[in-house]
Amino acid sequence: MEILEFASPRTLDEALHLVRDRHGTAIGGAAWLRMNTKIMPLGVDLSELGLDYIREAAPDSIEIGAMTTYRELETSPLLEARFGRLFSTTVSHIVGIQLRNIITVGGTLAGRYGFSDLNTTFCALGAKVIFYPGKSVDVASFIQDGEEGPFLIEKVLLPASAKASYQQVRITANDFPIINAAAAWTGSSWRIAVGSRPAASRLCKKAMVLLGNEPYPSDEKIEQAASAAAEELQFGSDIRASAEYRREILPALVRRALMEVRG
Amino acid sequence: MRDYHTSMPPAGTKELDATQKFNVVAHNISKVDGEGLVLGRPAYTDDLAPQNALYVKLVRSPHAFARILSIDASEALKLPGVACVLTWKDCPRIPITRAGQGNPEPSPHDRFILDEYVRYVGDEVAVVAAEDEATAEKAVSLIKVDYQVLEPILDFEKALDNPIIIHPEPEIHEMFPIGFEPKRNIAAAYHMEIGDVEQELAASPVTVETTVHTQAQQHVALEPHTAFSYLDVQGRLVIVTSTQNPWHTRRLLGLAFQMPLRQIRIVKPRIGGGFGGKQHIHIEPYVAMVTMKTGKPARLALTRREVFEATFTRHEMRVKVRLGADPNGVLRAIDMQVLSNTGAYGEHALTTFMVAGSKTLPLYNKVKAVRFGGHVVYTNKVSAGAYRGYGAIQGLTGLESAMDELAHKLGMDPVELRRKNMLHEGETSEVFRIMGEGTEGVAMIIESCKLEECIRRGKELIGWDPEHLVREVAPGRVRAKGMAIAMQGSGIPLIDMGSARIELQDGGFFKLHVGATDLGTGSDTILAQIAAEELGVDMNDIVIHSSDTDHTPFDVGAYASSTTYVSGSAVLRAARSLKQKLIEAVSQKLGVRPQDVTFEDKMFRTVDGSKELSLNDFSYDTLYHDGTNMKTIEATESFSGDKSPPPYLAAFVEIELDKETGKVDVVNYVAVADVGTPINPNLAKIQLEGGLLQGIGMALYEDVRYSDKGHMLSHNMMTYTIPSREDVGRITVELVNSYEPSGPFGAKSAGEIGIDTPPAAIANAIRNAIGVRLTQYPFTPERVLMALRQAEKDRKGQA
Amino acid sequence: MIITLYINGKKESVECQPGEMLTEVLRRAGYVEVKKGCDTGNCGVCTVLLEGKPVLSCSYLAVRADGKHITTIQGAAKEAEEFAHFLTAEGADQCGFCAPGFALTVLAMKKEMPNPSEGEIRHYLAGNLCRCSGYEGQIRAIKKYLEADHA
Repeated sequence: MEILEFASPRTLDEALHLVRDRHGTAIGGAAWLRMNTKIMPLGVDLSELGLDYIREAAPDSIEIGAMTTYRELETSPLLEARFGRLFSTTVSHIVGIQLRNIITVGGTLAGRYGFSDLNTTFCALGAKVIFYPGKSVDVASFIQDGEEGPFLIEKVLLPASAKASYQQVRITANDFPIINAAAAWTGSSWRIAVGSRPAASRLCKKAMVLLGNEPYPSDEKIEQAASAAAEELQFGSDIRASAEYRREILPALVRRALMEVRG
Repeated sequence: MRDYHTSMPPAGTKELDATQKFNVVAHNISKVDGEGLVLGRPAYTDDLAPQNALYVKLVRSPHAFARILSIDASEALKLPGVACVLTWKDCPRIPITRAGQGNPEPSPHDRFILDEYVRYVGDEVAVVAAEDEATAEKAVSLIKVDYQVLEPILDFEKALDNPIIIHPEPEIHEMFPIGFEPKRNIAAAYHMEIGDVEQELAASPVTVETTVHTQAQQHVALEPHTAFSYLDVQGRLVIVTSTQNPWHTRRLLGLAFQMPLRQIRIVKPRIGGGFGGKQHIHIEPYVAMVTMKTGKPARLALTRREVFEATFTRHEMRVKVRLGADPNGVLRAIDMQVLSNTGAYGEHALTTFMVAGSKTLPLYNKVKAVRFGGHVVYTNKVSAGAYRGYGAIQGLTGLESAMDELAHKLGMDPVELRRKNMLHEGETSEVFRIMGEGTEGVAMIIESCKLEECIRRGKELIGWDPEHLVREVAPGRVRAKGMAIAMQGSGIPLIDMGSARIELQDGGFFKLHVGATDLGTGSDTILAQIAAEELGVDMNDIVIHSSDTDHTPFDVGAYASSTTYVSGSAVLRAARSLKQKLIEAVSQKLGVRPQDVTFEDKMFRTVDGSKELSLNDFSYDTLYHDGTNMKTIEATESFSGDKSPPPYLAAFVEIELDKETGKVDVVNYVAVADVGTPINPNLAKIQLEGGLLQGIGMALYEDVRYSDKGHMLSHNMMTYTIPSREDVGRITVELVNSYEPSGPFGAKSAGEIGIDTPPAAIANAIRNAIGVRLTQYPFTPERVLMALRQAEKDRKGQA
Repeated sequence: MIITLYINGKKESVECQPGEMLTEVLRRAGYVEVKKGCDTGNCGVCTVLLEGKPVLSCSYLAVRADGKHITTIQGAAKEAEEFAHFLTAEGADQCGFCAPGFALTVLAMKKEMPNPSEGEIRHYLAGNLCRCSGYEGQIRAIKKYLEADHA
C-alpha cells in the first residue's frame, strides 16, 4: 500500500488530533490494512503510545492496551490466571505466531471484522472498549452499531475474571473460522456471543434470557438456549460454508461452550 | 484439532535389506544442497535476476471469454521508465502447446503466446516492461482494453457440443490424432475395450456403479513462478526459469517465436517446488519477448494470486466406475468413463485423462473385460495441466471407491476383496499394451510387485480388524478406518529419455552432468549416489550439475515419475561406461590388458598385484603428465525404458468424525510402499509423506472455486487452504523390501504414488463411519454433515 | 524516507516508502534469504526475528522497524547450521523455500519453550507452511535436534 504521509505521535492527544482532525488512519498491526488499502493519505502509527499492556485496573477489571498483540494475549500469565485457557483457545488458531506477534487488539476491534475470533470472546465477557479520551462502549454494541465519526481506541476493559469457553469450526487448523461461539458466566449472569456468521459477533440475547441467572442450568435448559441462539441470529453463505450449515451446527458449539463453563 | 500426535509414535526406521547390500545407494545420504538452502543462500530464480533487469508485468483479462477489440497503451507508454508494451500483434501467429511433453506433443497446439481472444479470467492480454516494479504496475493500470464480452462456458458438464465454441481459430491443430474436435469443445477423446464389458456386467451376479467428482486442485509450490531472460555475449536468448522441463521449454519457445533452437538457452536453478505446476511453459515467453524487443534483461515473478488464477490446475474429473463380480468377490468386469475439464487450453488433456485408466485399471488385471473412455472438454476456466498423480489420483478415487462399495455389497473385508483381484509379480495386464501416453502403450510383465507385503504390513500398522472398523470415542465422535491401494509408473516407456555425462577431473573427482531436473526432490543427490555406487567412490567424489541446455546433456525433465528410473538408469550406464574407459586407459598405461586391471576403493590394481595406481594420481597423469596419451576420460550415456514398472502402495487411514459438525480429521494415515530399491530411503519416504499430505488436502481441504461469472474466488492462500502442520495427526510411511530388475540398482520411481490414495481411502473410511459414501470433493465439514443429515432423513423415511 | 535497521548485527541505512513492508526492503538490501511466498501473510516463508520474536516481514511496516534489530537466517547461521544438520539427516529439506523462515522459527521456539511436546512443536510452527515434505520429517528432525541439546 502507499502511505502518503506517516506520523508517529508520542501522545494520545496528538494521535487523536491526527485521526479526528486530519482524517488520519490509525494503524494497529497493519497486517490486514496492507491487503485492503491502496492509498492511505495519512497513516497514524500508534506504536509509540505505550498502549502495549495487560494489567489489573481499578475497579475490579483488567485493561488491555490497544496495541497489545495477540501473542501477548495468548501467553499472558495474568489472563491465564483469571480466565484459564480462554484467550489461548480463542486466538491460537489464527495463522501462526508470526502473525500473532504483529496483530493487535485495537486493530481487529476497530475493523469489526466478521472473521474475528477475539471479538466474539470479548462480547461474551462483556468487555468494554474505551475510546480516547474516555468514552466507554460495550464491545458488543460497538461491533453491532459502530461508532460515529473518527475514533481512537485506547484500550479494552475486561471483568477481573470469568469462567468462559470459546468454540469454533475451521476447515484447516489455521484457516479463518467458519463460525465461532463463546459463552461466559460473569458471576451473576450468562453471556453468549456468536461470530463469523460470516458477519461480525452478536450477543444471543434470547438465549441468554432463557438461561437465566443460575450458575448451573440443566442440560435441557442448555439445549434450549443453544437452539434459541441459532434461531435468533442471521447467517450468511460464503466461500467456506452456507448459511444453512452455520445454522445447523451452531447449537452444538453453543452447547459445548455452555457445558464447558458450567462443568 | 485435537492433539493426536503424542499418543502415536512415528514410523519405525526399519532397515531395508538394500541398505546392507550397497555402500551409497539405499543409504540416507543428506542432500547435497540441503545446508545451503536452509541457510538461504541465493539460489532461486528471483534471487539471481540481474540488477538492471526490466520488470515485466502482465495485463490480464477480467472476462472469462472475450475478444480483444483494441488495446490503447498510449498513456502507459508516456510514463517515464516504461520500456515497452507488447500485444498479440507483436507475436508470430504460431499455435503451440505449453505442455511440457516430448515431441510430438500429445496435447493440441491450441495456444498463441498472446491472442486476440481471451479464454479465462486472468488470461494474458499484454506484456508491459518498465525500469521498476511500481512503474510497471502503474503502466498496467493505464492500459485501456476494449473487449467484446462473450458468453463463457463454466460448467464442464455443459461443454460438450455446446453452441459456444471456445476455440474457433482455424490455425490450431493436434500433432497426431488425439480425438481433437474443438468445434465440439473437445480437446481430446479416447476409448478402448478389452473383451465385452456390457456382456460381462450383465452376466455378473453382483454389480456396483459409483460416480465421483474430483475437483481442480492447485499445486501451491511455495515459490511462485519466476523467470528472467537476457541476451548473452553471442546474442543468444538465455532464460533462467523455475521449470520442470528445460528442453521442452526451449523447443516450444523456438517454435512460438520461429527461432532456431541454437539461439536459445534454458537454465533451471534451484526451484521452490513444482509438483507438475511447472511442467509447462508458463511465463518464459513474456520475459523473452521483452528481452528480444529491448535487448535488455527482463524479469517476472508472479504474484501468488497470478499463480492461482493464471498458471495451471489439476483436471477436474467426473469418473464413473461400474464393476461386475461373482458373489465370492472375483471381479469380472470394470468400466471406467471419464469426463475431464481441461479449462481454456488443452495442455496435458489427453494424457492425464488416459492415465486415469492406464495407471489404475491394471491393478485388477484378472477381469474378463475392461473398458475405458470419455472426453476432455474445454471450459472458460484457467487451464488444467500436469499435477502429481496426473489422472491416476482421479481414476483411482473412482475405482477404489467402487471397490469398497462392492465389498460392502458382498459383505466382504475390503482388504480381502483387493487381495482376491489385484495383480502380482510375474503377471501382466492387457491395459499396459493398449494404453500409452496418447498412443499405444507397451506390454510389460510385472517383475516387482510387493502389494501383498504392503497390505500385510499396512494392516499391522493401522490395526485393521474388518469386524471393528468403526467405534465411538465420545458422544457424537466416531473413529473409522478405510483403505485403498494404488500403482503409478516409472517414466513413460519409449518416450522419456535421459542422458548423463561423467568426466574425471584432476584431484580424482568426477563431474556428473545430467539434464534431469531437481525440483527440490533431491534428484541431484540420488543421481550422484547412483554414480558413486557404481564407480565405487564416495559422494564427496561426485560433483553434480543439472538442467542447463547449454551444459548438460538432454533429459525430458522431472515428471511422470521418471527421474529415478530413467535419469538414474542413464547415470548408471554412464558410470559403467566410464569405469570401462578408466580401466582401458589405465591398463594401456600400465602395459597390461584391460581384463588384468581392477578398480576398487579408488585404486587401480593389476590382478597379479604387481602394479597399482591411485585414481587421484591417474587423474593428474591423464590431464598433465602423459604426453601424447593425455586425454579427458568421460562417458555420456542415455536411457529410455521399454517398460514403466509401477511402484505400489497400500494405504490405511484412521479418521475421526464429529457427527455434530461434519469435521473429519485424519488421525493416522498409514502407507506402505514398494518402490523397488529406494536409492535414498529418507528422500523416498519424504516424497511419499509429502504426496500423501497433498492427497489429504485434495480429499478434505482444497477447492478451486469460481463465481458465476468465472472469477476465481479461491485466488490466494486465505481462500485456498493447504494443510498446515496441525491438520493431520500422523502420517506413517514404510517401505518394503523389493527389487526391480530393470531399474538402476533395483529402483523404481516414487515421485507421484504418494498422492494417489487419500481421496479414496478417506471416502472409504467415512463410508465406514457413517454409512454414507461421499463422492463430491473436497469433503468439507458441510458436505459431510449434510450427507449425514440426509442419510438420517432417509433412514427415518424408511423406518 | 531513510530508516536504520540493525540486520544480523550490521547497521544498515535503507531507503523505504512509508507504506512498504519489511520483506521488500530486506530483499532490496540483498537479504534474499527472506522469501516472498503468498502476499497474504499465510505461508511464513518471509519470517524474520524482530528483537528476537518471529514475525512475518511481509506484514510488518518497514518504518516501524526503524532502530530495531532484525535477524534473518544468515544472522543465526551457526545455530541454523546445527539445526540444518538434523533436517538434512531426515531428508526433510526438500525445495528449501520454506526452510529459512521455518528454521528461524524453530530457533525462536527453542528459546521460548524449554521442552515442547510434539503438539506444542506443531502449534508453534503452524504458521510455517510446507508443501513438499508433509511435515513428518521436519518434526522428526526437530525432536532429535531438541533431544541432542538435552543430552
